[in-house]
Amino acid sequence: MKRKLSDSGETPAVSTPKRRRTALEQANGAPNGHAPTHPPPNGDASYELPPSRDQSTPKKANGISATPLKESGLKTPTHKSKARDLFATPTKPKSATAATPSRVQNADRSARKKSARVLFEQDEDAAWDGSEQLAEEILQGDEPDIGKAAPPLADSIEADPEEVEEKGAKQPKRRAGRPKGARNKRSPTPEGELPAHERYFFQNRAGPVKTSNANLNKVSLLTHEEYFEKMGLYEDPCRDEKEYLLSLHHRSFPQWAFEFDEGFNICIFGYGSKRKLVEQFADWTYHHSLSNTASPSIIIIVNGYTPGISIRSIFATIVTAVMGDDVPSKLGAQPTEVLELLQSALKSGGETEQPVTVLINSIDAPPLRRAANQALLARLAATPRIRLLVTADTPNFPVMWDISLRDQLNLVFHDCTTFLPFSAEADVVEEVHSLLGRKGRRVGGKEGVGFVLKSLPENARNLYRLLLTELITVMEDGNQSDDEAPADGCKADDTGIEFRQLYQKATEEFVASSEMMFRTLLKEFHDHQMITSRMDASGGEILGVPLSRDEMEGVLEDLVLG
Amino acid sequence: MDPDGLNDALGLSDDKSQNLGAYIYQPPKHGKAGERPSKRRKVSVSGNEPAQIDRQRFVPLLNGDENAQSVKLRHDSYQQLWSEQEHKIQAILEDVDAGVLTEVSSFVRETSSQTCNGCIPTALVTVGSNVSSLSRLLSRLNEQLISTEEGSVVVLESGDAPNLKTTLKNIIRATITNTDGNDGYQRFLTDRSGPRLLGYDLDLLHDYVQRKGTKKLVLALRDSEAFDTGLLTDLLSLFKSWIDRIPFTILLGISTSVELFEGRLPRSCVALLQGKHFEVQEAGNCVDRIYESLQTASSTQLWLGRNITSTLFEITSDYFQSPEAFSRMVKYAYMSHFFANPLAVLFAKPVPIALLSQRKLCEVIRNLPSFRIFCEDLVEEGSTKQVRDMLENDGYLLKETIRCLDAGQQKMRSIFQAVLAVHVCLQYTQNTGKATVSDLSVRALSGELADSTLVDDMIAMMKALDSNKLDELIGRLQDILYNEQLGAIKANLKLLLETCPESGSLRSGYNINSTVTTTTVVQSRVQLSKGKAELSEQDVEYTKIIDQLLVFLQDYLAETLIRPQDMFLHEAFLFDLRNPLKETFAPRPRFAIERALATPFDYLLSSSDATATKISAKQPATAILYQLYLESGALVNVHDLWRAFSGVFENEEGDSCDDRVVMSLFYSALSELKTFGVIKNSRKKTDHLAKSAWMGL
Repeated sequence: MKRKLSDSGETPAVSTPKRRRTALEQANGAPNGHAPTHPPPNGDASYELPPSRDQSTPKKANGISATPLKESGLKTPTHKSKARDLFATPTKPKSATAATPSRVQNADRSARKKSARVLFEQDEDAAWDGSEQLAEEILQGDEPDIGKAAPPLADSIEADPEEVEEKGAKQPKRRAGRPKGARNKRSPTPEGELPAHERYFFQNRAGPVKTSNANLNKVSLLTHEEYFEKMGLYEDPCRDEKEYLLSLHHRSFPQWAFEFDEGFNICIFGYGSKRKLVEQFADWTYHHSLSNTASPSIIIIVNGYTPGISIRSIFATIVTAVMGDDVPSKLGAQPTEVLELLQSALKSGGETEQPVTVLINSIDAPPLRRAANQALLARLAATPRIRLLVTADTPNFPVMWDISLRDQLNLVFHDCTTFLPFSAEADVVEEVHSLLGRKGRRVGGKEGVGFVLKSLPENARNLYRLLLTELITVMEDGNQSDDEAPADGCKADDTGIEFRQLYQKATEEFVASSEMMFRTLLKEFHDHQMITSRMDASGGEILGVPLSRDEMEGVLEDLVLG
Repeated sequence: MDPDGLNDALGLSDDKSQNLGAYIYQPPKHGKAGERPSKRRKVSVSGNEPAQIDRQRFVPLLNGDENAQSVKLRHDSYQQLWSEQEHKIQAILEDVDAGVLTEVSSFVRETSSQTCNGCIPTALVTVGSNVSSLSRLLSRLNEQLISTEEGSVVVLESGDAPNLKTTLKNIIRATITNTDGNDGYQRFLTDRSGPRLLGYDLDLLHDYVQRKGTKKLVLALRDSEAFDTGLLTDLLSLFKSWIDRIPFTILLGISTSVELFEGRLPRSCVALLQGKHFEVQEAGNCVDRIYESLQTASSTQLWLGRNITSTLFEITSDYFQSPEAFSRMVKYAYMSHFFANPLAVLFAKPVPIALLSQRKLCEVIRNLPSFRIFCEDLVEEGSTKQVRDMLENDGYLLKETIRCLDAGQQKMRSIFQAVLAVHVCLQYTQNTGKATVSDLSVRALSGELADSTLVDDMIAMMKALDSNKLDELIGRLQDILYNEQLGAIKANLKLLLETCPESGSLRSGYNINSTVTTTTVVQSRVQLSKGKAELSEQDVEYTKIIDQLLVFLQDYLAETLIRPQDMFLHEAFLFDLRNPLKETFAPRPRFAIERALATPFDYLLSSSDATATKISAKQPATAILYQLYLESGALVNVHDLWRAFSGVFENEEGDSCDDRVVMSLFYSALSELKTFGVIKNSRKKTDHLAKSAWMGL
């Protein structure tokens, strides 16, 4: 403190009462625990600095304090523009720095207020973001500015950019990227090995999540054809191992058959498609029964992943297989009726008859997953002479069955990890696109839309051209007026044109003479999912196109040229 | 590119069976249309074929060198052994059910709407966790009622009752098919005079009841709590209005409690019912009884070891399993033993020596760990000649083996006798009486029972027993152990009791009551002194008898309760592998998938020396993506994920890798992760995924 006093004695230019206020504030800062930690560097720095700048932030003394000086001396415009970006309105770029220091001061004040709040509401999360540290810096760094009633214009501006720059770097705004400094790092993988539940809480703690803003707009997504073509080119490095794994499972077929004989049903689980294994088992069972009894056993294979599969159709297939030509002409609409018919048919056959083997692929696939379906399958499993082998792909499939179902199913479980791709089970491209929220694209994309347009009359094509032109114009306007807005896919989807406006344009261009006709044309587009429509806040209908901008331009080009 | 290669790469078969929902399997080459009718004819003729199939199920062991007869022997001895045990289990289950069954069936017979003031007679059966018992009960009740032509039982589950119409239709159909079969139902619907009734018209049921002369129509709702309350109310009020024409009796299976169930129904609905509450015995008791009878019966030849016992009880208590499920697990244990253990052939009776004398089997016996210990013991005893014979002479070895097997089994039986004896003694000494036979068995099977504090405490407590109780105890012990020494003690006691019939029960010198505390006032201070009360002559005699008994018991327990694992050939008569049972009945599918994806080379025994810990392009695509996923935060940027994914391939293959191929792999991996439910679309940011599963959680 002694140093500081002498320090203030040396500085002549600014009037003393204000100086006192500064000292007071610094004293106030001391209980907070910030000021006392750094007095020596502060003092040192102030010795070297010109008197007017002696109050520069105590924290920045370490290293940074030297550089801003030079920079401020150079008055680099880059810093100013950065400051503007964050704090000034973008409309008047030139005047902001030069003429309105008050704006900058206002911004500073609001930053200080915010920082004070951050410090006041200290929490663990702030520590992760680094916002707390930043707040400290702002508060302390701004002290001199408050102290001086009328700081030289240049000074205040020069002092600001570096703060602002730091702010830009450290503020928890997403665009800012990773904050620097080890303490600020919000890493998804914490130090050390955390148990799984701790990791869960670590990753799900409140606060902004740091992920980059990159998106898939630049990456062209795969179409179905390309996916299949490219998958065909891929050479699996683990092919031999997978085959070996399959052969291991193959060896347990006699065991499974024994389990069947003893009245158990089988459930096989584990990673990988088990369809091939099931098919091999069917083949093995068929030939085995053929060689033993000279009559092949009845084997029914069910693909649970088939969309739209019904329990009734499964039961009906089994009934057909069991009863052969004696199937009654009318089976009944309810699955229970068919099941009871099956049960009575099996009962009448007696115990000595050949068993009926039912193999169900992916019993946990969405079409079969419902509780009612599982209850019916469990009843099927409990029927004598029925042998049920099911495969399950998802990790949590046992939760489908409560104790009474488990009792009826009477399952033994085998881990049959095959590592084979779920090529038949899943529509890969469709799944991924729905996962990425690009379901609309699938309906045809650029090619699809172009194809539909070719088959439409001239009028319709003109209307679509009009719509696209308007949309692209709107997008371009939007980007010009508001260059902050990232041009990501989400934005493109949102752009639209008001129904009335489009109608007006359409009548102007003689595309549609009446609203009736206009709507008829739009309906055609709707049917092919070529346009989207939604209501905006005021209740007006907004029309859009489910295509990215590039695709829109492509379609428009074709329309104009074609 | 040729289509075959593509299909091959994708694992698609050429026939389009994968796109069919359900189809009858036809092998690719033999699928001729003319084959099916003929094979059906053959099936109906063959009567004794199942046995023939069964034989084929067992695979020759010993590297495939086991001869066919041995395989058959193993299978046959399994059949024989298990069928015995199964009879026992069935008997127990029937016995357990018998009480409730008679109660319920007499309730059904005796009550009608007249005796219930016009209400619907209702039996409320609380089953608790013992779910399967109700279906056993119902099927037996059904048999009873049908055989006496009084009526029948219709079982209804909540799944059958989506709405009132379907429920009624199901009830009517089930009632008629229960007695007349499916054709009967169809005939019943069509062969009626007058206007055709709809399937859910209770007039149909009325008609049926009249034709059949049904006196009781029991409608059992197996899982009453799962029924929609509104539907149940409608149904009951409907029954109430028909009760004068159709003799309904409702049977409600309740898993929670009657109060809770009643609370859910409106009062007007509860007022329609009048009935009685029945309780089914908890599954736990039943399981204990089954275990006891399986292990301690004198005919038992194969025992379940301690690991398996604890696994069995663990699973049963964790999953609230029914007694049937328990016995199925035991069955599976038996199956595993006979299916996979070549020594199981020794169980065949009589043992076909000639057949057994294969070199391989003898080698197997010589390689047993227990054989080694056995030989070492023999060498220590000095009988080296015997050891040499066993090592060199196959015939001698087999003879010894069979003798030792018998001896071992005998020892196992006595272990369980001792367990029962301890159990009986505990009932007299332990106030709380918590130790069940299964608890004791686990200890005995690990060889810890003889030295346990439980037994020590028991011995200490037994000293204080009075003569009446002791007499009873010895009587019960004699039922279990046939031992001369015990008989002698019993005779002594009897003699003693006869000599002094007037003195009531005798007390031993160890009894706390025979220590007398004397209070003396010495120089105005109270002095307490303990001393042995004067024992009567009989009491002294009695104390001697108690001492005799305790010495006998201690000797007996120390002698019989040996560690089963120390016995020669315990591999043959003691099944104690934890694993097949635990994995087959309490699987961990999530763990399996996580492991497969996180460390794929645990499964894919890689020939290349790829390091297991590092992500490499050698791994399957989904495994790579999953490991990247594990490293990410709760929110994942797809673009960055894709960059990281393709980076893995670029690093290793350099320029040679096709970006679009890698993209296809990325697609398939992403779709698989989505199917597993570990990722979902996030609305927070564009092109982001939300993580929804944590490994090991």
